[in-house]
This record gives sequence, structure tokens and C-alpha cells, in this order.
Amino acid sequence: MIWALAYFPVLAGLAIWAIGGSRATLGAMGAVAAAATLALALVAGGGTGRFVWSELIVLQAALPPLAQSVAILVPAILLPITLFATSQEDTRGLPRLVGLMLVFTGGMELVVIAGDLVTLLIGWEIVGACSWALIGHKWREQAPGPSANFAFVLTRAGDLGLFLAVMATMGATGSASYAALGTLDGVPLALAAFGLLVAAVSKAGQVPFAPWLFRAMDGPTSVSALLHSATMVAAGAYILARLHPQLSAAPGFGAAAIAVGLGTAVLGGIVALRQTHAKKLLAGSTSAQMGLMIATVGAGYPGVAVLHLIVHAATKAALFCAAGVAHRVSGSFDLRRMGLAASLPAATVLTAIAALSLAAVPPLSGGWSKEEMVKALEHAGPLLGALTIVSGGLSAAYATRFAVAAFGPGETRDARTRPGEMAALALLSGGALALSALWLPAVNEPVAAWIGAELPSGSRIGLIASLVAVAFGVLAGVHAARADSTDPTPEWLGLSALYEYAVIRPFHALSQTAADFDDTTIDQSVIRPFQALSQTAADFDDATIDGLAPGAATGAMTGSARAARGAIGIAVQGSAALAALGAGLGERLSDLIPDGTGRVTGMAGADLRRLQTGLAHHYYTILMVGFALAVGLLIFGG
Amino acid sequence: MLTLAVLIPLLAALVLAFAPLSEAASRWTATGAAALSLIALMVVWAAGGEGFRAVAEVPWIPALGIAWRVGVDGMSLSLALVSALVFVAATAWPMKLHDARAYYAWMAFLAGVSIGLFVTLDLIVFYVFFDLSLVGMYFLIGRWGHGDAQHAALKFFIYTLAGSLLILIGIIVLALNMPTLTFDMRAMIDTPPLAAAGVVPGLVFLAFVIGFGIKTPVFPVHTWLPPAHVNAPGPASAILAGVLLKMGTYGLIRIPLQMMPETFARWALPLAIIGVVSIVWGSIVAFAQENLKRRIAYTSVNHMGYTVLGIAVAGSALGSETARQLALTGAVVEMIAHALITGALFLIAGSVWQRAEDYHLPNFGGLAGTAPRLTGAATLAAFASLGLPGLAGFVAELQIFVGAFGVYPWLAVIGLLGILITAALFLRMLRQMFFGDLPAERKGFTDLNRTETVLLTALLALVVLIGIWPTWLLLLIDAPSLIPAIGAGG
Repeated sequence: MIWALAYFPVLAGLAIWAIGGSRATLGAMGAVAAAATLALALVAGGGTGRFVWSELIVLQAALPPLAQSVAILVPAILLPITLFATSQEDTRGLPRLVGLMLVFTGGMELVVIAGDLVTLLIGWEIVGACSWALIGHKWREQAPGPSANFAFVLTRAGDLGLFLAVMATMGATGSASYAALGTLDGVPLALAAFGLLVAAVSKAGQVPFAPWLFRAMDGPTSVSALLHSATMVAAGAYILARLHPQLSAAPGFGAAAIAVGLGTAVLGGIVALRQTHAKKLLAGSTSAQMGLMIATVGAGYPGVAVLHLIVHAATKAALFCAAGVAHRVSGSFDLRRMGLAASLPAATVLTAIAALSLAAVPPLSGGWSKEEMVKALEHAGPLLGALTIVSGGLSAAYATRFAVAAFGPGETRDARTRPGEMAALALLSGGALALSALWLPAVNEPVAAWIGAELPSGSRIGLIASLVAVAFGVLAGVHAARADSTDPTPEWLGLSALYEYAVIRPFHALSQTAADFDDTTIDQSVIRPFQALSQTAADFDDATIDGLAPGAATGAMTGSARAARGAIGIAVQGSAALAALGAGLGERLSDLIPDGTGRVTGMAGADLRRLQTGLAHHYYTILMVGFALAVGLLIFGG
Repeated sequence: MLTLAVLIPLLAALVLAFAPLSEAASRWTATGAAALSLIALMVVWAAGGEGFRAVAEVPWIPALGIAWRVGVDGMSLSLALVSALVFVAATAWPMKLHDARAYYAWMAFLAGVSIGLFVTLDLIVFYVFFDLSLVGMYFLIGRWGHGDAQHAALKFFIYTLAGSLLILIGIIVLALNMPTLTFDMRAMIDTPPLAAAGVVPGLVFLAFVIGFGIKTPVFPVHTWLPPAHVNAPGPASAILAGVLLKMGTYGLIRIPLQMMPETFARWALPLAIIGVVSIVWGSIVAFAQENLKRRIAYTSVNHMGYTVLGIAVAGSALGSETARQLALTGAVVEMIAHALITGALFLIAGSVWQRAEDYHLPNFGGLAGTAPRLTGAATLAAFASLGLPGLAGFVAELQIFVGAFGVYPWLAVIGLLGILITAALFLRMLRQMFFGDLPAERKGFTDLNRTETVLLTALLALVVLIGIWPTWLLLLIDAPSLIPAIGAGG
């Protein structure tokens, strides 16, 4: 049952890809499959599963409440995005898109239900591979292919951390289960904890892995909506929250998570604020928001991080859908060319709800979960709390800027809304709005109790500072949206260029050098000594051949050890003869085919056959001679 | 039954050599022979059993302890099965050929000797098959290859023959050191000769490592492989990678690891280092290749590096028994996975050559539109080769790395780089071949035909099956039984 949560969406996705159909058919099939997955997630709670590979490797699944909340979230976000995709994206390749989004969801569900590190690794990399296929969806265009490759390779670099965690855990305990992970200490624990941290921050688009999220923007908008909300990036934040009990004992783990998370939260906020590309603004925001979640886990509040993950998923998916609608109507992702309030009034209202939630304005849901995170980080230290508040102010600024620039006042255009897009936007923004009920203690307390989240208490001054920062952020965002005319700054504060010049190009050069070295030096250095040896042996052979054979025979009779030496001597002779044969053949070959221009196609079949018959003849002669020598040796030796 | 599995393809080769069959009849004779051989092996598999099974023995030269001995354990049975399968796919693969009857005769011959190598229990017969496989491959490359096929075939021939002579010497010395002269593998595994430390065991071990290392191939004796692959016809490349390379690693396990465990344990670390260097070097050099087949060929060096690392760890007598078992299981699974995956990749490369007569990757692009089935198969095979979980390569590499980490942690960590670089190089290959703009000269590029689709589907379905549910394969391989007694308890 619990495994169905992973394989059902995969099979359904492959089936939909194979069947295909019109927009409406695909939308209906995709939505039904997503709803069925959602139903599975609702009923599978508390279940466990085992799948035996071998005595040593057993795949395990479990669905405690914390995991179940995310297992429910993933299909719940997929459903509106499927409606959006089938309404917005090109019909060419649409079955593949809808199908792969379901497979992607299945991979994510495998990450969610994993009860051991091997299962986690399987889901983890399937998610990565699906993101590759989805980012590169429009394969006819030039940009998506390289971007998909960049994203996969960069996240796989992080995956090596997960490999390391598997190796360390299995090496120390013989098992890769989460339970075994919890028993680690010392070096294995540190390796496992930091390996997982690296894997998680790479998936979650944290510094220094953040640039892949920008490159991922070359994928379709619906893919971005899914990838930035409930799958892929969410996997990074989720797994740290899920495994927090096992990993928190590692020295420095919490501090490292906070450092990476808060660092990215602030830097990502700056990156987002300075972007003029609608999707890249949101991508910078995703890094920042995931950073806040990871820092919250580091501060010891994994449940709070998961609650923000859920709220953020609805919010961010809605905003990507809004960006997609704005792009379709305005013809570009440039925030300076939008201003669609008059053209799309309903979409403007729905976007405003989601944007205000991302800005963490009370009483919207994003405001509640962000304040919980501020409180959590306050516990870790006042400075950290202050940085979180700054990051919150930045969120308010870029979210406001996005909404005002994209859906602010502007000329009225011919903008027909499409029902699927609007349904998706309404469901997602509505979800973000509905989650605002979390402000009520009557709601947040049972929810927190269910997933096992401890809600931190906070200071009044922190709350006031946070709200002030949000207010300033909103004002700054409005101002930025109106004043904006600058061109985009270097991608991710120059990190993208750093990869290009410090990693990718040097590696290309290294690889080319290695290949040249392999073709010339290594090839020759293996052949030359052999040639020299065989020449020496051949000379030796000429000079002493009469003397050696009886000597070897006598030696062989005296014992097997000497026979061995004799055998080696014979082998040297054999190889010398062989080399001579080879050299002779090479000469004949050169005679037959003028070097460089000689092609098999141009060769007469008769010549070819003569050459080969000659070769076989010589070869078998040598083989028989060698065999006779061996037999002789054995007779003497035995 | 095993004798049948060897004789049927050899008889088919004989028939093809003399009977004037048409091209189609030749192709189906050879394919049918390989398929019958596969069925015979499956019968043995179905019969089950532990240790060496389906044993048969016919005296040949009793005075020297040489006999026609056949029998398989889990490892050799699984390798023989996958070899037979690769042969079925490679012989059935549609080709435009001159002298087709001779081509299929050599294919059938090669199938017989390759399967023979895996099922024989006599070292002399092993050696003979080892060398005969070389002869068969030489002719396939030399006569039906393209480009500079003659030089490539000769280089392949000289290199591996030099290796095989070293192996012959090693075999003779081992036999001479048995209490009674015999070439029976079972006897040598039960009472390993040359157990003492000393120069002779070290030299014999070295001879085996060089001999099998050339065949595998490992760094730095791998340079014969790329030209051989590039110039060979696609199906021959599939056999070279899928079957012949395995003879090297199979030999490493069967002879040095099982028959000279003490010596192996002393030299395990250098061998593991060679494995890791092959992993990293193979992938870095593969990355730079702009020739489709050269790129795949160098990934073979990388993958066989994983296998060698796993074998070295298994024989190290260090770490926990669990770690060594995992490493050896991984190594054998890697051989099988590599046979299926790289076999499929080379068959795909063969199709590309048949359609475009070009391997230069920058000359391609956008084939996903004209050849979606080819794109799908190549994508799946490429992801399998880069070790994506859910596919066979991952099952192997995970176990190798986990096992290696328990014995040589640093080597395992360095080896991990290999899976990152292979990811980069395969994705680059996919983009260059299939995505972006379709060049004008590729407009008429046709998709896989029905036969090609069926054959690739069969190979790749197995890759997926092993990736998701490897239990049956791991039970069949039964790696714990392969690790010699010296390793126990360590």
C-alpha cells in the first residue's frame, strides 16, 4: 500500500504519456491520477513497507505524520498544476509533460516515504532525472538542453553527499535504515550528517548550488511551479526536517544548517529583489525561502520548517502560475513590460493574495509560518533572529515588487483568460488563503501536535521588529516596482559565472588534455617498453637459443619451481616471436594499405582474405608451438 | 547441457562456413544457435542448485590432468546467460553486410567460444577459449569494420595476445604446483596452490593481473580499446564490450581471487588503486571525446574500473565480511549491467552508423524529432550507464561503493567522482545527438525499425528489472560463496 504512493503516479504518468490526447483529456487524466495519489496519501498514514533486495540491502518505507503531511501536499499541488499545464503549455509534447510531472511526483513521494537511505537515494535521483527531462522539455530550443544538463550535474554533485551518507551508515552498522542512522556517533555520524546536508542544500538551491535554479527557468512555467513548490527543492528542506532527530547530534550540524540557510535567505532575497525576469525573481525567492526552512531545522524546529514548506508550496506554485499567465498575455517574462491589473482583474486579485502571503503579511498563512520561523531562530540567537527578520523584509520587498510590477496598473490588453489557468490559480491562492487559518491557535495547535511540531515561543519585540520589516519591505517593493528600469544584475551575484570559469571550462580543458595524453603518451609508453623488451629478447634469442632449450629442460626436470622459471623463459621467447610476427604483419599491412588513406572499403576482398589467412596461419603455428612447449614442459615437470 | 550450450553455436558456425546459405538464413541460423544456447543455459538455471552445478567431465589428456570439464556456479552462470543474450541481440541486429555468411559464421563461432569460456572448469580449455575469442573478434573487426579497421584489429590482437600468453604461463605454474597435476578449477579453488609468500606467487599473480587487466581493460593498458570499438561494426562492439571485456574480470575473480587468495590479499590495495584510477581516468577522457563510439568506449574503462575496485576489495581480507560480500556482489552485477547497458549503447551506435556513416557528435542534433524510439532507448541506456537508481548500474555501483568504503574509504570517495563525470558526459552526449536543431544532412534519419526496437526493449527491460528488483540476480550470483576462505571472519 505505502509503496503504491510512489509507483502509482509513475505508472499512471507513463500510461498518460503513452495514451496522449487533447488538452482536456490530458488535463482530466492528469487530475484524476493526482487525485488518486492524494487519496493514497490520505489513507497510507502510519503504514510501513519492506522490499528485500538482498540480505544486506532492504528497502524500507514509513509514513509518520510529518512525512504524511508532505505526502499529501505533493499531489495536492500537482493537481492544480496539471490543470494549469494542460491549459497553458504548447500541445506539442504535452502528453510527455503531463506524464513526466506524474513520474516526478512519484519520485518525490518515494523520497517522502523512504525509511532508509538507499530508498531515499533512489527517489532522490529519480527526482533529479525527472527534473532534467522536464527542464529540457522544449528540446528543440537551444537553451533548455544545456540548462537541464547543468541542473542535473550540479545537483548530482550534491547527491554524492547522500552516497557518502549511505556508505558511512552501512559501513558502520551494516544497515542503511533511518533507525541505524540514529545509532551512529563519531566520524560516521559526521559523514552521514554533513553528506545529507550537502545533498539537501544542493537540491534546495542553496548557496553555492543556487545557480541551477536559475538555469532551471529554461523549463516550462508549469514545471517551475511544481519544481519550486512541492518537489525537487522541497525534497532538500523536507529530508533535513525528517532526519533532524537522527542528525542533530552531529557536532556543528545545526550551526552549519543555519549558516547555509540564513546566508542563502539573505543573499537569495537580494538576488530576487534585483531581478527583472519574473521567473528568476521567484527562483531567487525559492532559494531564500528554502534557506529559512533549513535554518529553522538547524535551530531545532523541523516541524515548523515543514509547516512553512506546506504554506510556501501553495503560495509559490500560485505565483509561478501567475507569472505564466502574465507571460502568455504580455509575451515576455520581463517585469517591466507587464502591468496587467486592468487586463486580468481576477488573476490580479488571486496573485495579490499569494504575493501577500509570500510577503508574510498577516493575516495570511505565509505570515504565520514566517513568524514561527523568526521565533525559532530567535531561540538560536538574537543575531540570527535579526537576520531572519531582514530576510523577511526582503521577502516582503520582492513579493510586493513582483505583484505590483506584473499585475499593477497598465494599459488594457486583449487578454482572454483560460479556465484551466484560472482554476489552478484559484485553487493554489485559495489554498494559501485557507491555510491562513493556521493563525488560530485552535487550528495550529492540533496541526502541530499531529505532525509533532514544537511551536516556539517568541518575544514581543521580535514580532514588532518583524512586522515593521515587512511593512518597510512592502513599501520598498512598491517603490522598486515603479522605479524599476535597470537591467538584470549578474546571475546569482556572479556565482553562475564562477561555475562557468572556475569549474566548467577548466574541466573541459583538463579532460581534453587527459584525452590527448591518453592518445599519445600512455599508448606509446605501454607499447614502447614492450617493443624494446621484445627486441632485447629477440637478440638474446638469436645469440643463445641453442643453449637455452636443453638448459630449460634439465632445469624443469629438477623440480617444479625451476619449471616455472623455464616457463617464464619460454614465454619471453614466445612474446618475442609474437612481437616479431606483429612487426612483420605491420609491415605487410603498410605495404597493402597505404597508411592513412587505405580504407577497408577500398580493399579488394582477395587481398583482405590473403592477409587474414596468413595471419591465422602464423597465429596457429605459434599457438601450436606454444602448446607443444607447454605440453613438453608438463611432461618433464610432472 | 552446458556442453550443448557451447557446441550448438560452434556447429552452427561450421554449418555457416560450408553450407551455401542466404544472408537471411545465415542470420537466423546464427541467432537461432545463440538462442538455443541461451535456452540450454536457462534450463541449467531452472534446475537450481548450489556451488558448481550441471557438471560434466570427459577425459581429454589424462596424463596432464586436462579434460573437457564444464560446470557453472552462480557467477559463471549469470555471465554465460547474459553473454548468450547479448549474442542473440547482436546477431539478430539488422546489418548491411558484404560476405554475410562468413560474418554470421564468425558470430556463431564467437558465441560458442565465449559461452565456453564461462562454463568450462578446466584451465587449459579456458585458455584456449580465451584465445579463440580473440581470433573471432579479430576477424569481425578487421573484415567488417570501417575506418582504420585493420590497424585497430591488429592492435587489439597484439595487446590481448600478449596478455593471454602471460595467463598461460600463470596457469601452467599453478597446475604444476598442485599436489597432483591437474587443470581442474574446482581442485585449485579447494586447495589453492602457491599459498606461501614469495617471489613466484607474486610473479604469477602479476602475470594474471596484467593478462586479465589488458582484457578488462584497466589503466594504463586500455588504449587498444577505443580504436577497436570505433572501427568495429556495432554488434561486434556490443559483443566486445558486453562479453569479451567480462572475460578479464571473470578471470580475475576465478583465478587470482579464488585460486591465490593469500597472494591476492597482499596485492589487493594496488589493484584497488588501479581500479580507481581507471574509474576516474576513463570518465575524464571519455568526457573529451567527440566521437560517439570513443566516448562510450572510454566509459567502459570507467565501468570496468568499478568492477576491478569491487574485486580488489573482495579479495583484500580487510574490513568486515559484509563489506567484501557487497563489493563482490556489486562487481558481478556491474559486469552484467555493463553487458546489457553498454551492449545496448553500442547497438544503438551501430544503428547510427548504418544511417549516417558518422560518429562525430557535433554533426548530430535534434534526432529526438525524427527518431523518438532511438532517443528513448539511448536516453534510458545513458541514464542506466551513469548509474541512475531504478536501473541496473546503480544496484552494482551502490554495492561496490558501500563495500569499498568499508575497506578502502578514501578510494571509495575518490571513485565517487566517476559517477559525477559520467553523468556530465552522457548528458552531453544526449544533448549533442538528440536535442537542439536537426542538421540539414540528418533530415532523412529514420527511427529504429521493428527488430531493433524489440531487441533493445528486451535488453533495456532487463536493465529496468534488475534496477528495481535485483533479488533474483543477487541470489543467483551468491557472492558469499565466491569469496575464498582466507577472507572469512576477517
